[in-house]
Amino acid sequence: MRKSPKKVVVVGSGPVGMEVARQLTERGESVKMVDDINADVEEARTRGFAVEQINLQDDDALKRVGIGGGVDILFALLDNDASNVFLLISARAIAPDLLIVSISGVRDTIVRLYAAGATKVIDPYRISGYKVYEHMNRSLIAETMDRTVFGRVDLDIAEIHIQEDSYIHGKYLDELSLNERYNLIVLGVVDREYGDNLIFATDPRRHKLDGGDILVVIGPEEAFAQFEHDLHAGLDIPGDEDA
Amino acid sequence: MSIPDFVIQTAYELEESEGYQRKKKAVYDLLENPHSRIRPYFDVFMMLMVISSVFVLLFSVKHHLGAWADWFENTVLVFFILEYLGRLWVYDDVHKIVLEEYEKSELINERFRLSKVFRAVMRSKWRYISSPMAIIDLLAIVPSYRALRILRLFLLFRLFKVFRYAQSMQQFGSILREKRVELITLLGFLTFVLLVASSAIYMFESPQAGGHVEGFFESIYWALVTISTVGYGDITPHTIEGRLVTMVLIVSGLGVISFFTSIIVSAFQEKMGEVRDRRVAMLLEKERGYTVVCGFGRVGQVVAEYLARDKLPFVVIECDEEAVQLARREGYLVVQGKAERIGLLRTLGVGRSAGKVLCLTGDDVINVFVTLSARQLDENVEIISRANHHQTLKKLMLAGANHALEPFKIVGLIAGEYVGQPVAFEAIHDIVMGENDITLESIKVPAGSWMDGKTIGELLLEDMRLILFGVITSPDRRSDHVRSHFDLESLRFQFNPGADFVLLGDDMLLVFGHKYSVLHIRQKLKAKRA
Repeated sequence: MRKSPKKVVVVGSGPVGMEVARQLTERGESVKMVDDINADVEEARTRGFAVEQINLQDDDALKRVGIGGGVDILFALLDNDASNVFLLISARAIAPDLLIVSISGVRDTIVRLYAAGATKVIDPYRISGYKVYEHMNRSLIAETMDRTVFGRVDLDIAEIHIQEDSYIHGKYLDELSLNERYNLIVLGVVDREYGDNLIFATDPRRHKLDGGDILVVIGPEEAFAQFEHDLHAGLDIPGDEDA
Repeated sequence: MSIPDFVIQTAYELEESEGYQRKKKAVYDLLENPHSRIRPYFDVFMMLMVISSVFVLLFSVKHHLGAWADWFENTVLVFFILEYLGRLWVYDDVHKIVLEEYEKSELINERFRLSKVFRAVMRSKWRYISSPMAIIDLLAIVPSYRALRILRLFLLFRLFKVFRYAQSMQQFGSILREKRVELITLLGFLTFVLLVASSAIYMFESPQAGGHVEGFFESIYWALVTISTVGYGDITPHTIEGRLVTMVLIVSGLGVISFFTSIIVSAFQEKMGEVRDRRVAMLLEKERGYTVVCGFGRVGQVVAEYLARDKLPFVVIECDEEAVQLARREGYLVVQGKAERIGLLRTLGVGRSAGKVLCLTGDDVINVFVTLSARQLDENVEIISRANHHQTLKKLMLAGANHALEPFKIVGLIAGEYVGQPVAFEAIHDIVMGENDITLESIKVPAGSWMDGKTIGELLLEDMRLILFGVITSPDRRSDHVRSHFDLESLRFQFNPGADFVLLGDDMLLVFGHKYSVLHIRQKLKAKRA
């Protein structure tokens, strides 16, 4: 399943920046950490992160770290919303098609960050706060999620791209019964017949899977491996054709 | 048995007697313990008694009240006396003083002398008797014995007793007490000016010199009326010298007044925060199991927002002025101060009635420290702490946190997901945030309900538009229909159990679904049971 590593630039060396850089490195992506000249990056450096300091307001410096040339994704994780917006606008001007993920400090900035050209905005403080709240009031669910999906162990959420030539092409989602067969739970589907958005599996419509559709599935790693294997083997599943 | 021996023996008996200690504790709770539940009721009762007795006194000035007024007065008096004796009793432990003296004399091999003990006891009790509040209490009792008119006036001292029972009044008193150096300086200055001015006016305005001041008492009265800028004008200077004195007195009076005002104002301003904090603490006294949120940074703000949405009681501790203002604007209970101060945590009820402590500051050092302090104050309080770096996680658990969260790790995970699998990212983000109305919810299977004993397949969850994520069961449940399970702290999570998995009472279903679907199945569970 592993594709070639993506080239990622993480701007910002605060706690969020460090965490994102750490996890991406663990996943095997090629990560470059960058922060502003004036920024205090000592903390990150003592923790073993190689942070390059450049002038973020200088377009040439941005180009030098690869924006507009070779970088797949830019993470704008500066602590200051205004700096993030400025960085986003600069980067968008250089590379119109770049994927840019940013964080917002206050809720109101989310709109502005999108306007400045972010592909996706994450609100880390809201996520953190909700997590704390969840631990207080729905501790069982929080514990389960932490031990399964967010933990080191088995359960993964992954997306499966359906190829034209795979055996599930043309099948209906409900006749696959992936949970029985592979121990995989389908969370949602991107059905190109209904647009490019993720539709949760609770949706009442029946979904016919075609090439280009994407399934979002949760399950143990070995189940994924099995499923992937069967997909490529082009194994036909008996008994379901006329369902 | 000699008298000293008897005293020592009694002291030892009292020290060991549980009943005695219990009784004393009950009286202490009633009269003095600021955290006891019964004390507020007692305070209100006594306040009513004071006010009604003074009211009866005022009414009796012009009306004849008959026997019941005397009867009422006596009842009030009995209460006051009992209260006075009770407070005198719980102020200290006589038997402890006796034992201390006895053990001391044993240690230095000296004869145990009753007179010395008696003096020590008296000293200790005298400390109570001579305290302002005790004097007021006594003054509220004593005048009733005498029919003297001037002593009747002292009955009004009972009103001062109200101080004892009203906390805000006590705060006022403590503010004045704190400024006593300034106030005494002012009083000294005032006395000096009054003495000089009244002597001068007594000399210059005597009837012999053509004035109207008859005696020294009148001159003091005049000086005070003038210096306070009240100026009734019933006594006025008529001589040139007298008027000169008056002018000087008026000018210095302005100084005295402004000095006095500024002392009081500044004292109140200094105390304003404390008064506010105490109000917060008082409001919290009524609650049980509330949450103490340490740190009102961006994470703290979000948590507070969720707590407020669910109408859960909480109090915020934050030292940054701007953040405190923000919390106040939102209408949250907030105390400005450092959460590291163990005294502050204690004031806010950690160790008594606080149910949860959240350490959410952006500084891991502070979070660890606060976690440790809170754990020391209370073994049972639930502590959730934030770790800004993954290395802190273990330290927080060591310090005594029940849960240590690494909030940015989840952010990192979500962000990392975006790099490889942008669609899955969307799903995770929505589930984590509970947005888009799709949530992961738990549904408990009540023992004996229609779900109890059914298989998963029989529930027909798909028809309710719910996706089963798994079932949380007791940790020892095994089933052939489960291919992967995960052990939680004390329970077991069975991932994707097959259609033949049998549910038992107290199991918990974890389902993904629209919140209305979840609501629907919960309702159904309730309705069937009723």
